[in-house]
Amino acid sequence: MFQLKLQLFSSAKTLETKIDMFHDKIIDAAMTFKKSIGEFLENGRSESFKKVNSQLRQIEHDADQLRRDIENRLYSQNLIPDLRANVLELVENQDRVINRFDEVSYQFYIERPEIPEIYHSRIRNLVEQVTDCVENMCIASRSYFRDLSLVRDYAQKVYFLEHETDLTSGHLKTAIFDSDIPLANKLQLTTIIDEIEKIADLAEDSIDRLLIFVIKRDI
Amino acid sequence: MNEGLFFLFLSSGLFLGWSLGANDAANLFGTAVGSRMIKFKTAALIASVFVILGAVFTGSGASETLSHLGKINAIAGAFMVALAAALAIYWMSSSGLPVSTSQAIVGAIIGWNFYSGNPTDSDTLIEIVSSWVLCPLLSAGVAVFIFWGIKLWMKHLKVHLFRMDSYVRTGLILIGAFGAYALGANNIANVMGVFVDSSPLHALSVGEITFSKTQILFFIGGISIAVGIFTYSQNTIKTIGNNLMHMTPIVALIVVFAQSLVLFLFAFKPLKLFLDAHGLPSLPLVPVSSSHAVIGAILGIGVAKGGRNINWKIVGKIAFGWFLTPVIAAAVCFVSLFFLENVFNLSVYEG
Repeated sequence: MFQLKLQLFSSAKTLETKIDMFHDKIIDAAMTFKKSIGEFLENGRSESFKKVNSQLRQIEHDADQLRRDIENRLYSQNLIPDLRANVLELVENQDRVINRFDEVSYQFYIERPEIPEIYHSRIRNLVEQVTDCVENMCIASRSYFRDLSLVRDYAQKVYFLEHETDLTSGHLKTAIFDSDIPLANKLQLTTIIDEIEKIADLAEDSIDRLLIFVIKRDI
Repeated sequence: MNEGLFFLFLSSGLFLGWSLGANDAANLFGTAVGSRMIKFKTAALIASVFVILGAVFTGSGASETLSHLGKINAIAGAFMVALAAALAIYWMSSSGLPVSTSQAIVGAIIGWNFYSGNPTDSDTLIEIVSSWVLCPLLSAGVAVFIFWGIKLWMKHLKVHLFRMDSYVRTGLILIGAFGAYALGANNIANVMGVFVDSSPLHALSVGEITFSKTQILFFIGGISIAVGIFTYSQNTIKTIGNNLMHMTPIVALIVVFAQSLVLFLFAFKPLKLFLDAHGLPSLPLVPVSSSHAVIGAILGIGVAKGGRNINWKIVGKIAFGWFLTPVIAAAVCFVSLFFLENVFNLSVYEG
């Protein structure tokens, strides 16, 4: 019985650590993405950009491994039977956000879009808002595991920032189409802006689900 | 009396014990097993061991109160009282009405009193009937108190979801064991109480420990409850917790704890003696319904949560059962005693 209890608590502790590490990966991915886009805007597809890009790929890979490990442990050790489906969905939704960071950065790597300097600050601003949005999603998700009362506050920040990204990308796309650059460039830039903006949409979707999970977790 | 014949007469009590194990033990481990937090066999083993321990070591208090209500002094009479209670439970359950073994047995004892011409001690009866109302109310109060306590604890200590899960699992096992002990201590009176005065069994010494003849009887009753747990409670577990409102494991833990504490308080003689000695109000030592305690706890939590998800129809049915169960059991017992005495020529009372 005593051994059973100890095993139970050590399994819980291990999973707690894994979940924390997974959340760390989200923050790492957001920061690295910001650095990656900044690097591209500064120096194009330079060596330093490639390096940051491969860092992001590694983070995405580590997050995938963590997600699989969390899934396996939750089911094989039969933990939180009433809530594990929610936790799995939460982790999977957030993994999609990390994947998207990697994909968008890689899109910059492959397409090497030509971005006129006048749009650089607005793109930086958009990336800043998107990463802020994801960071708040991450804090809300951490709070789900420890302090439910905070989830709503951070969820509200995510909603606000997601709306801000909509506005910023809208203004940016209008400005691009009002400019004289070739249509092909305009289309390429708006596609990339949409891809960046979609990261915030994914964070918002994840928060929508999280708020439902909070209701289920409340005793 | 021939011991083989005694066990034949005891069969109605053993059947009641089996039914108690099959139905009421599911309240203790239902959520833990249903949500696959622990295996059924582990839960059944823990429940069985602790039910027997509770019955043997703390079962005498509630049984004495039943004895005050009616001192059934003939084994055939005791057989029919237990059988009448079992039949009343069967009919009520078949009609879909919530039923309490305690109420059925009290009704059957009153039926025996009527038949044998023994007076029913009104003070004891009032004490017992008041406990039927008090039990769910007390259980609701305890559950609300624990519910708020846990909410406060969770808010301030910010326990991680996975650690909370470990606490709940451990709690469900420990409190489930305590609940099984309390169930045995309180409800053994329903199963074996009516046989105490007519039992031909003798005290037994095992090493330094001597078991009284009542403890031996309660041990046998405890085994019948354990058989009920192993053979049938898994089916009952499948339906537990779905009737009144959806229960999370934490709520289930609160419910089991409230139920266990209430059952224990209605059975624990030293506490009553202590409170009486200090002039403090105490609870009567009577067998109470564990199902009613569970329902009381669930309703209490429901009210604490703002009265959502409560099926008030079931509450009405329970109140109706308070009246109907003892009446049916008394009537069945009265008629059956007549047959037993006049058709089978068995002595159903000594007077």
